[in-house]
Amino acid sequence: MIEADDISILGLSLQVALTATLAILPIGVALAWLLAGWRGRGRIVLESLLTLPLVLPPTAIGIVLLMLLSEDSAFGRALSGAGVEIMFTWKAAALASAVMSLPLLVRSARTAFEDVDPRLLGVARTLGDGPWRVFRRVALPLAWRGIAAGTLLAFCRALGEFGATILIAGNIPGRTQTLALAIFHRSQVGRDGDALRLVALTCFVALAAVYATERLGRRHGIDRLAR
Amino acid sequence: MIDLSIRLALEPFALEVELALAGRVTAVLGPSGSGKTSLLEVIAGLRRRAEGRATLDGVTFLDSERRIRLPPERRQIGYVPQEPALFPHLDVAANVRYGLRADPGESNRRVAESLALLEIGELGTRYPHTLSGGEAQRVALARAIVTRPRLLLLDEPLAALDAELRHRILPYLMRVRDEAKIPMIHVTHHVGEALALADEAVVLRAGRVEATGPVRNVLTPKLVTSVRGDATFENIVHGVVAEVDGEIAIAKLTPLIAASGQPAIGAPLLTVPAFRGLQRGAQATYRVASEDVLLLRGAPAGISARNVFAARVIGVETLRTDVLVRLQTGALEWRALVTAAAVRELEIAPQGELFIAIKTHSFDRLG
Repeated sequence: MIEADDISILGLSLQVALTATLAILPIGVALAWLLAGWRGRGRIVLESLLTLPLVLPPTAIGIVLLMLLSEDSAFGRALSGAGVEIMFTWKAAALASAVMSLPLLVRSARTAFEDVDPRLLGVARTLGDGPWRVFRRVALPLAWRGIAAGTLLAFCRALGEFGATILIAGNIPGRTQTLALAIFHRSQVGRDGDALRLVALTCFVALAAVYATERLGRRHGIDRLAR
Repeated sequence: MIDLSIRLALEPFALEVELALAGRVTAVLGPSGSGKTSLLEVIAGLRRRAEGRATLDGVTFLDSERRIRLPPERRQIGYVPQEPALFPHLDVAANVRYGLRADPGESNRRVAESLALLEIGELGTRYPHTLSGGEAQRVALARAIVTRPRLLLLDEPLAALDAELRHRILPYLMRVRDEAKIPMIHVTHHVGEALALADEAVVLRAGRVEATGPVRNVLTPKLVTSVRGDATFENIVHGVVAEVDGEIAIAKLTPLIAASGQPAIGAPLLTVPAFRGLQRGAQATYRVASEDVLLLRGAPAGISARNVFAARVIGVETLRTDVLVRLQTGALEWRALVTAAAVRELEIAPQGELFIAIKTHSFDRLG
């Protein structure tokens, strides 16, 4: 049977993953739009930087974040000076998840924007729309399925984030212990049955999200064929 | 009035164009890859790297030295690219309404007006992927004219479609010219289309202006075929329906001069195929391929062709293996493509008198 503890862990995980996903949504879409239309030399640099969280061990990203947030860095001191406490709170878990899942959102959204026929954007400009209105009235409505699919992928990634999280958020039951951390913890202390329950819960949430992604992706594909 | 002095680096050449256009419609001809589309994109403001100066009716929209570069949305220049580029997520009415900033009542009225002008009023709720090529092109045209731009740029409309559909757009372009009164720059490689629609012409080759001036002076068959091997020299016949005989499906047409809409004085009544809905007093447009205009030495007797009349030769030009003969009957001009052997046998020479014969069914209806 599912226990109260499991539910609170699931609740915290959802809170962390949702916060991370919502936080990266505007940033990710803006970066994707920028990359899709950018022909300059800086594009490859930005793209490579954005790919790092995908290819590096999550713990490496965790260390970088740890250094950034610590009192040794100017950024860390500025944060604590402003009274913002992040390290070893659920916000740190959300930050780690956000950084790790941003590349997935950007890649998916960038492909969706690149699929938008540039002539449509040009015609929209000649019809009196500035760049922002063209983005809102043409690019976004045509790319939204790809963006939504990328958002769901990012959410799944955030839900499963472990390596970077444990470094900057720790593994504090009730405060920062998400599903991934709790499964690790329970299996370490020999509570395999309890861990498996959490695995089942994680599977359920992840499958629901992946199913939704697939549905969106498929409709996206069919739409493009119809055009 | 449009004044251009622009430069744009392209591969493998630079587009360097100096032009002053005062015509209502300017036809632009040139080989593929000569920079025609780029020229339109520079005028529309879609090429950010263009340099030089450009003004439209005295308003400067590009002056790279003075760092003036009006963005496309502030130029009021309509653009219809080669592919109609309709917004796939919007229905036809929403596509046409896209550029309007008026209140809903006024917008609806203007959308309906544009759709009616192009005879696509019934398509309002359809989505682009359900439209035929000709319908989509007319929607794109309606979308461009509904905002009443100061200039309309047309990039070879319907070039990607088959000949019949492509020609069908011509009468609508004539309507836009005559009823919406929007000046146009029209990229085409159909000389008949250019003669029917434009008063000025520009020939581009490798990014430079090779010839410019009144359309009749510029578009000599030799120049046009040297620029574009697949150029066609069809005859566009536009006129008022004088009678319709529904039973045998033919009509009599009083020709007008397509480029001006003026009566073609001294031209004979033409016998053309009738189509459903054609009524006396209406205007209609037909196309006759230059290969279908037969030339005869004397007045023929007992011939099945319904259109036989005397004509005077005004030009003879050799194109590749054939000869294009230009003839006049009153104010109406005809182009006939014949073999060099026929020219010799019939002794065809400028100022000579010949007879023209055209079968009723050589007239293809355009609209």
